[in-house]
Amino acid sequence: MSTDRTTTRRASRWRWGTPVLAVAIGVAYLVAGLLGGDVAFAVFGLVLMLSLAIGMLLLRRSSETVAGLLDRRDERINGFDVTATAFAGGVVLLVVIVAFVVDIARGNNGSPYAALGAIGGVSYVAAMIYLRARR
Amino acid sequence: MKNTVHELRTQLGLSQAELANEMGVSRQTINSIETGRYLPSLPLALSLARYFDESVEEIFDVD
Repeated sequence: MSTDRTTTRRASRWRWGTPVLAVAIGVAYLVAGLLGGDVAFAVFGLVLMLSLAIGMLLLRRSSETVAGLLDRRDERINGFDVTATAFAGGVVLLVVIVAFVVDIARGNNGSPYAALGAIGGVSYVAAMIYLRARR
Repeated sequence: MKNTVHELRTQLGLSQAELANEMGVSRQTINSIETGRYLPSLPLALSLARYFDESVEEIFDVD
């Protein structure tokens, strides 16, 4: 019974994790926009991320996939999330590498693509080392 | 990989949603397991086996 309560508490905590993160990012957009003097971006960024957070919470009732992504209890949905995240990361890295090559070909120094690519590569190797040591 | 989850569930008169609730997964996941589109993790396979009072080998068959 206590295990059920613990699982429920953990699921509840996870359920709020993504919307809270979305709101936090929206606040970061707001602060950055105001500091940079771009009020339109500040307001749009906050409204966009608030809408995303609210949308996720509302969709949770009608979509099992969204509910699974929020409460993290469903291993199949979690597997989708890992695969989709890896795919998105791969696409971003590919774009960064292409942009780096194009920038070099144009006679520039490849900034900031070189640093972004390096961060991606180092993160991958670090993750592999960590996972290899843990599993 | 074939399995008898559908048969075992219907024998108990459970809906997919009820079994999903018992297992802590979504109804879609139970449906995917029953249709053979998703192979559950070992913990979930063991939970299903314990719930139906069967062994994992009795529920899941390689072919």
